[in-house]
Amino acid sequence: MPGWFRITLYRSAIGLPERTHGVLKALGLRRRMQTVFHPVEPQFAGMIMKVKELVLVEEVDRPKTNWEVKQERTPEPGFYVEKPAPRDGGRVLQQLRQLGNVKAGEVDEEVRL
Amino acid sequence: MFGPFRFTNPLSGGLLWKIPWRLSRFQKLRQRRRLRAVDNVVATLDEALAKKGETLKALERWKAEMPTEAQMLPKDKYTLFDRSAKRYRKGIHKLPKWTRVSQRVNPPGY
Repeated sequence: MPGWFRITLYRSAIGLPERTHGVLKALGLRRRMQTVFHPVEPQFAGMIMKVKELVLVEEVDRPKTNWEVKQERTPEPGFYVEKPAPRDGGRVLQQLRQLGNVKAGEVDEEVRL
Repeated sequence: MFGPFRFTNPLSGGLLWKIPWRLSRFQKLRQRRRLRAVDNVVATLDEALAKKGETLKALERWKAEMPTEAQMLPKDKYTLFDRSAKRYRKGIHKLPKWTRVSQRVNPPGY
């Protein structure tokens, strides 16, 4: 099972030598935060070595498609409603529970302070 | 003393750039993070190639010559050698593109 390098361009090469731009172009990196996959081979390792200050590298088992990479950073669709938390962090509620005034089930709007 | 014609440095001398002579502690923090990021990339390459039994001349040379972030002295992380500077050191932020180039070692003898 050959490994793969997952390479993300983290810093731009603007203002750096022309050779650096060429290496990024050869790796297929055109814009910041773009991710490409290349097999673990000395030729690709050498290219990464040339731009090691600009990229983030991981070793992964298989290359992901562009769609899969995008899914990683896409949030879940829709929304959910959060319940309001008691303002004192629940301390009064705890004390009431310890005193036996409130049972575990009936924690609701009346008790919220 | 006051008013539009007061003698301040920028008014009497023209252009005055105020580049601090040393890094702030936040700049130093980010500098350490960048050093560590480069160390991580090199370590990843080394591990991946070692699994396949391969190696790389540039990688071997880097490992032989360059200290990691933890091995470096603060002096080398935040300053660099300059033959014309007082006491031969100046802030690393004077180096062009200093956040995107590797500058870790000193010339022999310094």
